[in-house]
Amino acid sequence: MMRNLTQRLNLGDGRWALPCFIGVWSLLVIAPLVVLIVFSFFQTQYFMTVYKPSLYTWNDLFSSGRFEVTLRTLRIALTVTLIDLAIGFPFALWLAKGKTSRTVQAIALALLTIPFFIDLSSRIIVWRPILDEHGLINNFLLATHIASAPQHWLLYTEWPVHFVMVISNFPMMVLPIYMAINVIDDTLIAACQDLGGSPFRVLRDIILPLSLPGILGGIVFTLGSALAAWVEPSMLGGGFVDVLSNSISSAYSALRVPMVAALSTFVVVLLALLLLILTLAMRRFVRFGEVFRSMKS
Amino acid sequence: MSNLVAPSRDLWSYARIWPGLAKWSGWGLLILIYAPLAWLALLSFSTRPLSGIPYPLSLTNYAALVHTPGWTGPFLISLGIALLVGLITAVIACFVGRAIPRSPRAGTIVLIALLPLFIPGVSLGAALFIFLRVLLGLNLGYWSIMLGHVIWSFPFALIIVLVLTTRFDHRLLEAASDLGAGPWRRFWDIEFPLLRPAIIGAGLFGFLLSFNEVQRSIFLRGTATTMPIWNWTMASSQQSQIPIIFSLATVILAVVLPLLCLVFWFIFVRIEKGR
Repeated sequence: MMRNLTQRLNLGDGRWALPCFIGVWSLLVIAPLVVLIVFSFFQTQYFMTVYKPSLYTWNDLFSSGRFEVTLRTLRIALTVTLIDLAIGFPFALWLAKGKTSRTVQAIALALLTIPFFIDLSSRIIVWRPILDEHGLINNFLLATHIASAPQHWLLYTEWPVHFVMVISNFPMMVLPIYMAINVIDDTLIAACQDLGGSPFRVLRDIILPLSLPGILGGIVFTLGSALAAWVEPSMLGGGFVDVLSNSISSAYSALRVPMVAALSTFVVVLLALLLLILTLAMRRFVRFGEVFRSMKS
Repeated sequence: MSNLVAPSRDLWSYARIWPGLAKWSGWGLLILIYAPLAWLALLSFSTRPLSGIPYPLSLTNYAALVHTPGWTGPFLISLGIALLVGLITAVIACFVGRAIPRSPRAGTIVLIALLPLFIPGVSLGAALFIFLRVLLGLNLGYWSIMLGHVIWSFPFALIIVLVLTTRFDHRLLEAASDLGAGPWRRFWDIEFPLLRPAIIGAGLFGFLLSFNEVQRSIFLRGTATTMPIWNWTMASSQQSQIPIIFSLATVILAVVLPLLCLVFWFIFVRIEKGR
């Protein structure tokens, strides 16, 4: 009896795993993030890091024309996120509640998940021979006489960067929203319809409030990946689309560690700030406590 | 049937076009994800892939691929790292995922564990680089790439495991211990078989996420090279190497895609049967 009790308390329920995990995780994830923030207050002199706290690097970050880069990064990331939300939310809704058969759902989910596992650089470099001056689209346009000269704006401008980022971030937007909508109880929707609610009312009063956690998740994942994107801008922007990640990699190759730290911190802070604004804006319409309570039941 | 009260307002929202629009714009984007992959495969057989027209067809790129020795090393290293990351992630996710539902502070712990999902890859890579290389002065290499990959794939693995562990019926374990089973017996004979689909799923996610990871690896590589890093450096610097990348990507796709389809078929059929 006594032996049984001790086993239950110690090894059996595996509760030892949590303190171990929290310890290792704080050392390997939280400590590096703290160090990152701390290093952003140091500075580089003669290729050496000077360990004296100052705001020099942060001043440098905002004064050396990076403000423009930040604005561009934000603009591209927000545009991409909005387009993905506009296409992803209706698609997720159709997938979860559109009387779709389970086979179609499974196929769509698999198709949405597979891109996570395919190398990004080979997925993106193939757009070059498609959008190129002598590429597929220009050949098509010339052959059908839609255009009389090759369209140069198709590649190495901001346009292909937006376009391909919308495509590659689409699954990150759809999957969280789908998961949130999928757990909404069908009887709630049926009740609303029975009471004469139009599809618009069902969407506004039931699906939108209950799927907000999923929408927020989708926005965070898409925005985070769009803010830190570097494969699309460098491969399809052709050096004309300078974003924050380019600044990070150039500071990294120049071994300006405090600048790398400040820029990386800045990206995280930017993401957190946008998330905070979004949560506060949505709090006016929905009470989050109720959302989570209704999801649990 | 469902409209007992005659619709009077928001008539526009009854239009058939909305579900159709939602459906086809989504499928359209999915086509835009997959059509370029097919195009990539087609171009890999072209003699001049950068011209954008798959004509004339030949196998020269594949012959060049066979004679280019550079990619086999990174490929095998990536494979090895991915296998280890998958294994480590699955084991840790299994133990942490089992313990979380029993903890009084489950919400906080899950939030901390999911933190890497919300930190952009560049930032996390830079943070780990500064912490390990600059602060601790360690020599980076395969081990640090692996560490970065485990941190990156763990949240995904944990979510998969938590789906099953939060629904786990603990009365089964009590019944087992009432019948005299020890803790490891309870784990191996009852808990593990029930959690196996989630643990395998977690391991597969770890493997596949690690195999394609590039953002964190670039910071954590030291002098080591993995397959995605090799692809990235070739694709971004040397134009002459691009035909080889096309055929290499096609070969990898030809292996990975059927495998993935099999995995998903397996998962969905299993879930369907389990219901």
